[in-house]
Amino acid sequence: MLAKDLVAASSKPLVLSILADGESYGYEIIQKVRELSGGHIEWSDGMLYPVLHRLERDGLIDSEWKEANTGRERKYYFLSSDGRKALKTERQQWLAVHNTLSRLWKIKPVSI
Amino acid sequence: MENQTRFDLNAAVENWRQELAAQPNLTSDDRRELETHLRDAISELCRHGLNNEESFWLARRRVGQLEQLAEEFVKADPAAVWRERVFWMAAGALAALFLFTTTTPLIAIIGYCFPTAGKIVDELTLSLMLWVLQIFGITFLIARGNMNLQSPLLASFIKDRFRFAIMTISVLLIAKTFCATIMLWVYVASRNVHGFNRGPFAFIGNYVFASLVLELVPVAILIWLLPTQNRKTPKRA
Repeated sequence: MLAKDLVAASSKPLVLSILADGESYGYEIIQKVRELSGGHIEWSDGMLYPVLHRLERDGLIDSEWKEANTGRERKYYFLSSDGRKALKTERQQWLAVHNTLSRLWKIKPVSI
Repeated sequence: MENQTRFDLNAAVENWRQELAAQPNLTSDDRRELETHLRDAISELCRHGLNNEESFWLARRRVGQLEQLAEEFVKADPAAVWRERVFWMAAGALAALFLFTTTTPLIAIIGYCFPTAGKIVDELTLSLMLWVLQIFGITFLIARGNMNLQSPLLASFIKDRFRFAIMTISVLLIAKTFCATIMLWVYVASRNVHGFNRGPFAFIGNYVFASLVLELVPVAILIWLLPTQNRKTPKRA
C-alpha cells in the first residue's frame, strides 16, 4: 500500500492520464486505478471527488452531467487543453524521479 | 416465515442521503455525485454476489466518513457552497420582488370591485398584506413538500445559461405585460384617466420597464452564478 503523501501527490497525474484516454466518472476512475496498480494504490472512494473538483477549478478538466446507458445520470469529467499541457509536464517530472531511482537501483531507465 | 426486519435498500440509501444533506459544506451537486457513486458501488458489489445489505454497508464504508469528506470538499472549492447559497438568495429576492409587483393589478381590481375598500385601508397597506400572504403561502407549500425546487422541470430549465436568461426574461416580460393590461383595463373601466394620460402603449411600456428594472438585479446574479456545465466554456481537448 502506498504512503498517504504519495497517494495525494500521484492523484493528479493518475486522473489526468486516465482522462487522456477519454471521458470518465468518479467510480470508473477509482476502479481503473485499483485495477492498474494491482491493488497497491487504494483510494478511499469519496476522497477522489475533492481531487476532481480541484482539477476542475484549476481548469485542467471539465465536467458534464450525462445519462449513461443504464439510465443513471453521472457526472462525467474530460480533459481540457490546459489539462493536456499539464499532463505533459507531470509526465516529464515523474519520469525524471523514476529514472533517477532506476539508475540508483540498477533498473533500466526509460526515455523521457 | 417472513423476516420482520428485512433490509430495505431504498430506505437505507434514503437515510444515508439525509445524513449527507445534513453536511452544511456540501453543495447539492456534490451530494448528487456522491449518491451516484454509492449506487454504482452497490450495484457492482451485488453483481459480485453480495446481498443488498452487505453491498450497502461495504459501499457506504468505502465512500467514507461524511464529515471528513465534507471538509475535503470545502478545501477543494471553498466558494462552492456560498455560490449555491447566494444563488438561492437571489432566487428568493426575485420571487419576492415579482410577487410584490403582481399585487398592484390585484389591488386595482379590488379597488374597482369594492370602491369603498380604499376608505378602510390604503393601497400600500393592502398590497403589503397581499404580498405577505403570498410569501407565507409559498413558504408553506415548500415546507410541506408540495413544491419541489429540485424537480426535473426546474433542473432542465437551469441547465443552460443562455436558455435560462431567455426564458426568465420572457416569462417576466409576459407577466408584466399581462399585469399592465389588467391595470389599463381597470383604469379604463373606472374612468381613472390620470393613470395613463400618455396613451395605452406608453402606459404599458412604462409599467413593464419600471417594474423590470429592480428585478433585473437578481436575474443578473442568477445568470452569473447559475450552476451549469458551461460555467467555463468547455475546451474539449
